[in-house]
Amino acid sequence: MALFQVTGFKHYAELRAQILPSGQTHLVDRTNHYNFGTKTQEFAVPVGVDPSSFLKSCDREGGSSAGRYLASNDVNKVIEINPYLLGTMSGSAADCQYWERLLAKECRLYRLRNNHRISVAAASKLLSNMMVGYRGMGLSMGSMICGWDKEGPGLYYVDDNATRLSGCMFSTGCGSSFAYGVVDSGYREDMTVEEAYELGRRGIAHATHRDAYSGGFVNMYHMREDGWIKVCKEDVSELIHRYRKGMF
Amino acid sequence: MALQDLCQLQEVFPDPDCSPSGTRTGYYDGGFPASSSSHPFNFFIPAAEFLQESPLRFGQVSSALTSQDHLLSSLSWPPGLPQDAPQSVPLPFPMSHGTTTLAFLFQGGVLAAADTRSSCSGLVACPSSQKVLPIHSHLVGTTSGTSADCALWKRILARELRLYQLRHGRRLSTGGAAKLMSHMLHPFKGSELCVAATLCGWDGGELDQNQEPTQGGARTGPSDPDSLEKASQSSTDAQKSFVRKRPSGPSLFYVCSDGTRLQGALFSVGSGSPYAYSILDQGVRWDLTLQEATSIAREAVYRATHRDAWSGNCVDVFHVSSAGWRRRGREDLREEYYRERDRQGGGDLREEYYRQGGGGPEGGVVQREGQTRGGGPEGGVLQREGQTRGGRT
Repeated sequence: MALFQVTGFKHYAELRAQILPSGQTHLVDRTNHYNFGTKTQEFAVPVGVDPSSFLKSCDREGGSSAGRYLASNDVNKVIEINPYLLGTMSGSAADCQYWERLLAKECRLYRLRNNHRISVAAASKLLSNMMVGYRGMGLSMGSMICGWDKEGPGLYYVDDNATRLSGCMFSTGCGSSFAYGVVDSGYREDMTVEEAYELGRRGIAHATHRDAYSGGFVNMYHMREDGWIKVCKEDVSELIHRYRKGMF
Repeated sequence: MALQDLCQLQEVFPDPDCSPSGTRTGYYDGGFPASSSSHPFNFFIPAAEFLQESPLRFGQVSSALTSQDHLLSSLSWPPGLPQDAPQSVPLPFPMSHGTTTLAFLFQGGVLAAADTRSSCSGLVACPSSQKVLPIHSHLVGTTSGTSADCALWKRILARELRLYQLRHGRRLSTGGAAKLMSHMLHPFKGSELCVAATLCGWDGGELDQNQEPTQGGARTGPSDPDSLEKASQSSTDAQKSFVRKRPSGPSLFYVCSDGTRLQGALFSVGSGSPYAYSILDQGVRWDLTLQEATSIAREAVYRATHRDAWSGNCVDVFHVSSAGWRRRGREDLREEYYRERDRQGGGDLREEYYRQGGGGPEGGVVQREGQTRGGGPEGGVLQREGQTRGGRT
């Protein structure tokens, strides 16, 4: 693109390479930079015949790190946008908190202007469009928007690249691969609520066990038709001792 | 020395004019006259020459270099030092190290499992490669990293262990094998050699009485009563005679080409290892039966292949016990995927919900208590455990 070259327009990939030379999405190596080096994991499970007990639990573990220093052990990585919408955070703590608060503001304005609650798809689209505007400028955010609207339960993954994906199970953050193994193994569409809680706890606990940048507590939320509830906040070290009791 | 090197090089140089002495076996084993070389690891890797000679041009940088020049330049290098391949000859294609291998100890020995996909940054070079290589009757190694490097170094390790066994009359322990491999790989530190292996073995608990390799002579195995008696009678020096019971049992070591050597009870190596680790952490205990351990290992590799792009195809499971290693038949994980999808009822999640009571998920998930899930003999041990645990909370 000759015009791009003349005007000095930098391609997204180039800019990104300058800002993040190591090429990684999550800025875990910046010492001044607070980070949710985390894994946040959600999955949506419908119970076919009984829509009122549709499950969605959001687990979050609360640990944020700045480089190799653990800044805080007790950070809530779930932002409660409104009683029917939750957003999770992973990546850069500052980016996540700011942009999701901005999203909360937009959702509230939408409600006031249009007299009905915003749908999950629209809320995630709003966030994704915000990300598009700052593409290539070094934002780092991996978040999941979950909620319950007129169409039923909704779960969207939104990225700092403005990737927006709808799905039934996601896990984000640097410990996400560890959580994926556990949750993939135990996930069934027809789980009960208790099974889903247990699976969520296990996923986070095992991921914090192996991932150096994750730890602290599991904050678990359950999104139901009449709104979300906070299920529990458990210490992962106790959880892992419980799960690995038989280990050697 | 220079003349000797010249002769050695001439022997294995891929030149049809020069007559080989007939002992040339293969490229990486050839050119190694063990008797005349003082340095045990002075082997010649003619990879550079081969690439230079090859008519297929892979976009090499130093294409102007003639074969004669290369021969001369390699003469100036002292024997024993590895040729710095990346400097003179770029790799023909970018290698990428994607795999999932795992190994863990349990009461029945050591279990090692790996996937079978060899990938080359986006291309599946081989869907049925073998990543768990037996080294000797009681030692098995999983390989991760560059496949060529791993295969070569496993063979070298096997050779060295066999020599040790012939010289000393007993097998080297797994820890010793790991140390040997780590020291062999050390000269290559900093180069692009990439080997990350776990050595899984069963150490025999042989009693060593008066273990004197320097005495030489006709030494039979230490279990031979005559030699033991003779040795204990003949040796009057108290220092020389010692009885050392080596620990017997399963043993697991991780060796990496950057010099890491770790002993442990559970290792998983490769790009798919995070996915496997969480499954293994859930289920691995010392008192597993062989069947449970196999099913956990299979499940862990399956989950890793499900999520990781560089792992896939089939799974190999090896079991090392006091009787030696045994290999399970290779299983295609695609079947596992279909089986699981059928168990879960198939279909899209949201479609199910929107259809508003299509009678629940379709397909065969009628019984929840793990009956269909445990369909195959190895299926679903984890799932059953997960369900009961969920019930308790």
